[in-house]
Amino acid sequence: MELELKQLRDRCLADLKAVCELKTLDNVRIKYLGKKGELTIALKGMGKLSSEERPIIGKLANEIREEIEDNISTQKQSLEQQEIEAQIREESIDVSLPGKKHQAGNLHPLTTTINELKEIFLGMGFSIAEGPEIEWAKYNFDYLNVPHDHSARDLQDTFYYEDDIVLRTQTSPVQVRVMQEQKPPLRIISPGRVYRSDEIDATHSPVFHQMEGLVIDKGITMSDLKGTLDLFAKKLFGEQTKTKFRPHQFYFTEPSAEMDVTCFKCGGVGCKVCSNTGWIEILGCGMVHPNVLQFCGIDPEQYSGFAFGMGLDRITMIKYGINDLRLLFENDLRFLAQFK
Amino acid sequence: MLVSLNWLKEFVDIKIPPYDFGEALTMSGTKVETLTVVSENVINIFTGKITKIEAHPNADKLIVCTVDMGTEERVIVTAAKNVFVGAIVPVAVDGAVIANGTKIGTNDFRGLLSYGMFCSIEELGMNTDLFAKEIIEGILILPENTPLGMDARELLWLDDVIIDVELTANRSDCQSIIGIAREASATLDLPLAAFATYTAAESCNQIADYLTVKIEDPACPRYVAKMLKVKKIAASPLWMQVKLLNSGVRPINNIVDVTNYVMLELGQPLHAFDYDSLQSQEIVVKTTAAKKMITLDDKERDIDETMLMITNGQAPVAIAGVMGGQNSEITEKTTLIVLESANFNKSSVRLTAKQLGLRTEASSRFEKGVDPELAGIAALRATHLLLEIGACEVIEGLIDVYPRVEALKKVSLDINWFNAFVGISLTIDEIANMLTRLFFTVEKISDHVLDVSVPSYRLDIELKEDLAEEVTRIFGYDMIPGTIMGGETMVGGKTPVQKFQDALKNILVGQGYYETLTSSFTSEKRLLGLNSQLEDNLIPLINPLGEENSIMRNTLIGHQLEVISLNYNRKNPFAQFFELSNTYRKNTKPGELPIEEQKLAISSYGSADYFELKGVVELLLEQSGIKYPEFIAGGSDFLHPGRKAEIFVAGTKLGEIGEIHPLVVKNYELPKRCYVCQLSFEALFDCASLDHKFTDLPKFPASNRDLAILLKATIPAAAVATIIRNNGGDILESIELFDVYTGAQIPADYKSLAYALNFRHHERTLNDNDINPVIDQILGALKESFDAQLRE
Repeated sequence: MELELKQLRDRCLADLKAVCELKTLDNVRIKYLGKKGELTIALKGMGKLSSEERPIIGKLANEIREEIEDNISTQKQSLEQQEIEAQIREESIDVSLPGKKHQAGNLHPLTTTINELKEIFLGMGFSIAEGPEIEWAKYNFDYLNVPHDHSARDLQDTFYYEDDIVLRTQTSPVQVRVMQEQKPPLRIISPGRVYRSDEIDATHSPVFHQMEGLVIDKGITMSDLKGTLDLFAKKLFGEQTKTKFRPHQFYFTEPSAEMDVTCFKCGGVGCKVCSNTGWIEILGCGMVHPNVLQFCGIDPEQYSGFAFGMGLDRITMIKYGINDLRLLFENDLRFLAQFK
Repeated sequence: MLVSLNWLKEFVDIKIPPYDFGEALTMSGTKVETLTVVSENVINIFTGKITKIEAHPNADKLIVCTVDMGTEERVIVTAAKNVFVGAIVPVAVDGAVIANGTKIGTNDFRGLLSYGMFCSIEELGMNTDLFAKEIIEGILILPENTPLGMDARELLWLDDVIIDVELTANRSDCQSIIGIAREASATLDLPLAAFATYTAAESCNQIADYLTVKIEDPACPRYVAKMLKVKKIAASPLWMQVKLLNSGVRPINNIVDVTNYVMLELGQPLHAFDYDSLQSQEIVVKTTAAKKMITLDDKERDIDETMLMITNGQAPVAIAGVMGGQNSEITEKTTLIVLESANFNKSSVRLTAKQLGLRTEASSRFEKGVDPELAGIAALRATHLLLEIGACEVIEGLIDVYPRVEALKKVSLDINWFNAFVGISLTIDEIANMLTRLFFTVEKISDHVLDVSVPSYRLDIELKEDLAEEVTRIFGYDMIPGTIMGGETMVGGKTPVQKFQDALKNILVGQGYYETLTSSFTSEKRLLGLNSQLEDNLIPLINPLGEENSIMRNTLIGHQLEVISLNYNRKNPFAQFFELSNTYRKNTKPGELPIEEQKLAISSYGSADYFELKGVVELLLEQSGIKYPEFIAGGSDFLHPGRKAEIFVAGTKLGEIGEIHPLVVKNYELPKRCYVCQLSFEALFDCASLDHKFTDLPKFPASNRDLAILLKATIPAAAVATIIRNNGGDILESIELFDVYTGAQIPADYKSLAYALNFRHHERTLNDNDINPVIDQILGALKESFDAQLRE
């Protein structure tokens, strides 16, 4: 019996060794350890053994069973390992092949610029105000202190829908609306579309975009105007940017100024972008004219404030180095796709 | 405006370099655009007088000139034809450089040496636009009294710096040398020199024997006339010509040059009439019924009764403030002149000049506003100059019709207010000093209040804020500190609408769509190209830039198609675009502004199809929290009748979607298949539900059932889904159409729609007893509505 068992064990181990697939491994287990397996059957024959032999053979049989099971388990692990290795070998790919195409579009560069400006001012507690593009002439001119005989009102400069309704020539009428509809303190910006009767060329378009800003509160000073716009310029063009405020004239502000920033391209030493001046003109600004405050029902003796306005198309062109305004309105995909 | 720095220096002793001066002027409010030296290169050109001219022995076309250079004689060989013995000419000597950079030396001309070269206007670097053709073509002949051996740079002001300044609309007082000189004086804190005027004591009023002046229209606040006898009409002296030239004005003769000189110097336009041609002893300023008039430039002008005229009582002799008439022009025969120094209302001149399409140096000054006080000063300044250069003799007396002399304006300035307003702290004396530098008369009425008298020419100063700007610009804007605003803390931020706009754009960008930017204008033709009648709610412009741009758009579709057309024609094989922008239409409520409605247009060509675009729209709606949008066949005429749908949410129309109609494809030169969708942003926002709320995750499993429904092919799938949804009860969680079949397995004109239905109860696991009755209910309803049946 003992010999029988040992031979059985040797046969089984040889069978196991010959197995090279997980599928057939189980066959070996069934052949020896299954209900009708050789070892199982052999053990059933133990009843015939003498009581002396039984514990000895029983022990041996158990040892053999354990040995077979261990071997099966080891073999299983090894085969699994081999199988995974084979799978990995088979499934290797050329990772350098191009990925599957996913199309993303992008925002128009003007929108991106506007978003950037919005973020800067939203961070300073401003809100975004909106107003109509087709506007009463009195909002576009009169309430902004533009003289009645000013040439800006001429048919050759301003588009008219009716005698008293124009396509706004600036975003400034939004100022008026905000001041008339809300009480100070006010902090708003208002980006939007404006119109002037200019034939389209590399730097002009009858349709263009501006952003207006307005701050009204008690005790707002001209140095607040400088501080705020200087901070804006640094955020938009980088911390090293310097600003220069030059006296200027607008009807709706007094005192008025134009703000230049150091050329972001050359840093102020002079290059093609800044026409060798080192400076780029960015916006017009000033302290809100007392007449405008009065038109809007705000007492100029109690409140003061500042306003500013800038050309967004121009800033976009400067920011991206776009040399022709018409490209912004043409929408050639090869242009649009450059601003991902 | 062009300003000669040399001329300016006659009023203010400017010692700093031109560039620094330009910066200083810019920073005090007079923006300097460019600084240009008249003739940068020219050196070693001196005046010489031709004393002898001989023929060249070896060349017919050359002559040999002996030239007296003052201290030496020099032989110059030239081909010039306009030189003569006695002519004083500019001579480029050895080592000279002419305007184009060419060096001049001693040259052999057919065996004779020429020790230099005579120069023309162009070779001197002067502005050839300001000279007659015959003068440009020859050698420049200088006046007889020109000193010999003099450096041309000095004589002709070739080293002058021309400053191009950009003036703001409010500073009409700066449209002159004296105006800029006042600014320079205030900016640099230097004294301003006075100029000479005719001040002789006159014993009689001789002028009254010749002339009276009447003003019959308030558009002429003042009319000053001085009469002079002409001694000789000739060229004006070189110094005067040079100043005119460096101001961009062409010299004509001594009389005209003086009127131009005074206009440039003081800013007062002047006009000289030939007295005899007036054929009258009176000048009347009024409007007339005359229809035609020939102006000084020999052009016939259509005039009318709205235009202010200078008349001889009957006929116009000049268009007030714009241009004189040919009928009273100064000629060589003129013996008596009437010098007009008048003031005209700015709107009157502006409208007349605009209507005539005639802008002159005079009209552009009057349009901005001229100080009436200047009329008297300018008349006397011109008289002085005409006498000084020997052009005229004076007729005693002065006519000055000045019905209403305005008192000087006074503005009071509280320095405490000023300092608080600007955010600086200047003393009352510092402020008074800066205002005085600007020629304001200042009186201290308390320790913090100044009474400020405004010079008559400062038409722009009305309020204390105006004075604040004056002080601040002289103090220096760059000296004001930058501060961060105080006051109440403000939250600011975007409104829900603004956030939603951003969100929509971001979704579309993520799906591969490019944002476009198109014009707001369209036209009848462009709209008719969309295969539909013009709507009656359009907004046409009174004064459009051409027919193409004559209407405000009421749809974004046309512009999206134009963008597609452009890209297609430029061989971009496929593209997807969107734009969120305003459209415009009439407001039916009277007295209100037109309606501006934001629309979202989405378009594509080249790669996608209808369902691709629809999928993106469905995604947009889903991301907007909109459930169960309905796409119902139908829509505008620019869409393909068989491939278009209107989009509804709970009965509200959001917009439409479809393929572009083949006719429109032709009209807009489009690729064969283009897809567009246009949604009303407002409707979309109203339907959107953007709040997110958490619901517990399901604890019990879902049961899935697939149903294949056989029905007539014409029945829209959406209608089937609606029936299923409406009959699914509370336990129907979702349905999904996963297959549409038409073909051999089923009858013709029929289709099979296969749906996956998902059932779930949130409190227990469902079994067949729960689900089967619902399925039966659904099938029953489908049978009833569409005669549909379960496909076996």
